[in-house]
Amino acid sequence: MNAAWSLLMALAWRNLWRNPRRAAITAIVVAAGLFSVLTLDAMMQAWAQSSRDATLELLTGSGQIHAQGWLDDPVLDHRMPAPSPELSATLNAAPIGGWASRVTVPAVIQSEYKTLPLSLMGVDPASEARISTIPDMVVEGSYLTGPDDGEIVLGRHLLERLRTQLGRRVIVMAQAADGTLAQRGFVVAGVFAGNTAIEDGYAFTGQRTVQQMLGIGSDISEIAFRVPDNGQLGAAVTSLKAAAPELDVKPWTALSPMAAAMDSAMGSYVWIWLGIVFVLMAIGIVNTQLMAVFERVREFGLLMALGMKPRLILALVCVESALLVGLGVAVGFVASAALTWGLSGGVDLGGLAQGAEYFGGSRMLYPHFDMALSLREAALIWALGVLVALWPAARAARANPVEAMSHET
Amino acid sequence: MKPDTQVSPIVRCRGVTKVYRVGAVDVPALSGIDLDLAPGDFATLAGPSGSGKTTLLNMIGGLDRPTSGTVEIDGQEVTALSSGARAALRLHRIGFVFQAYNLVPVLSALENVALTLQLLGVGPAERAERARVALDEVGIGALADRRPAYLSGGQQQRVAVARALVTRPVIVLADEPTANLDSTNADGLIGLMSDLNRASGTTFLISSHDARVIDRSRRHIEVVDGKVVSDDRR
Repeated sequence: MNAAWSLLMALAWRNLWRNPRRAAITAIVVAAGLFSVLTLDAMMQAWAQSSRDATLELLTGSGQIHAQGWLDDPVLDHRMPAPSPELSATLNAAPIGGWASRVTVPAVIQSEYKTLPLSLMGVDPASEARISTIPDMVVEGSYLTGPDDGEIVLGRHLLERLRTQLGRRVIVMAQAADGTLAQRGFVVAGVFAGNTAIEDGYAFTGQRTVQQMLGIGSDISEIAFRVPDNGQLGAAVTSLKAAAPELDVKPWTALSPMAAAMDSAMGSYVWIWLGIVFVLMAIGIVNTQLMAVFERVREFGLLMALGMKPRLILALVCVESALLVGLGVAVGFVASAALTWGLSGGVDLGGLAQGAEYFGGSRMLYPHFDMALSLREAALIWALGVLVALWPAARAARANPVEAMSHET
Repeated sequence: MKPDTQVSPIVRCRGVTKVYRVGAVDVPALSGIDLDLAPGDFATLAGPSGSGKTTLLNMIGGLDRPTSGTVEIDGQEVTALSSGARAALRLHRIGFVFQAYNLVPVLSALENVALTLQLLGVGPAERAERARVALDEVGIGALADRRPAYLSGGQQQRVAVARALVTRPVIVLADEPTANLDSTNADGLIGLMSDLNRASGTTFLISSHDARVIDRSRRHIEVVDGKVVSDDRR
């Protein structure tokens, strides 16, 4: 059997180059197809990662913990106590990379000119900086200095709508724990620039300042946590649920279903493109192999007359296709890997940055060549390429040696 | 070597008919052929074009099935075998020399001769040695590394003869082997096959209407309209 296989390999490899132009065109089609699939995959994954990070690093984090009922009705009645020692220990352990507690209440903010609704968020700036990018987005003034900070940080767009400015006072009103309307004056200490929804929707001040204003002691509304490795998120949620079974622990996929849907849609686009590439490639391979078979009908007849069994003829055409597609796959794989590794330091979207931010991405993309996934996709293309060659191979194997040898080419 | 007519024949054909369907018409190519070939025969199969020579060779070589009748090669009934089994029979027992397009163009002369040995599973060293010896026997050992495109028609036919004999078959079937050769090459090839027949005792059945081939044969079978009309031993 080894002798037969070495014969097949030698014949197949040499037959491949009987028409070098045709073989090269087919290999290039396969290489370009796989290159586009793998490179698109890397860029889409980078885009998905960028969009996910941009969304989650604003406020959501990798997940959040609330009292039961808060997500349906985020009012002060659904607050929860500061984390227990057991929950704190879990939050401080791997795979969680950082966490922050917050007090969030529906409120209205009032300037001399206007009154607008928003969410007042009391934060601890030190822990907030470990999970949120908002402290880094301050473009005027400064961020908060501690949980007792009595100043306020507002979004730029909100500031414009309130027709106020840095250093001016605003009044914030919210329902206190005792049911009365609590109100407090704040000096605008900083202005942040993010997307409009965040700029209009949130105002940040010290956590203890809000707790005192609302009369809730050390109670909080939520804990946001960050898991650096998204693959570990499930394990983190499970351990947090075990540490605080009375609380509602949710991953970001449940908190931001839109972001989760976009994330999974990215993977679908790649598979759709893979399908298109395969169809185009299959047409090319079938065409090439049918022509190659048709041109060599007499040769197949000769080989069969000499005693080569039909299944070896079938194998010969399949091996030729495997080598041809394999060559294209190898070239496409190496080219995509080289390009992706070359771009792994970051792709600056530059002029596209505004559009990128509109869609929730960031200015920089960091493509990563996923070796395991790329090998799977390359193997799939290769296997399908060999599979479609079965048709021309079967035609060659079905040839009658007498008819084949009298065939006029 | 003289054929031994007392031993079992290498080829035994009984009542072999072949009818081709052309459109709505049945065209008989062979009409009840009875023929035995003994070990060591050097026979020619002659007859006008369309008389059924090639069809009969195809039946004996297991390349095609008769419409009726039986063909035995070295005691084995061929007609009932599957296509795979007939391929195996051809590989083990029969050598072929065709009129044209005899060699695989991407293989060298040596590799063409070794091809059937490789299909038989012979190891690389042994098949290279046997192929080289076979090429030496047909007088073109020096051209072993050349591909068919770089060999003359006569040299290509010699490679085909070497390939036909390298597996030590019981019979070599040659279909018009000199048809595309000039007279010098044709003479050389006939002489070569005749010498190999005498030296090895391998049975040869050569389809030809080339007078030089017929003159050198020791048995002459004439086929007309799908029937054996004469069978002369010399």
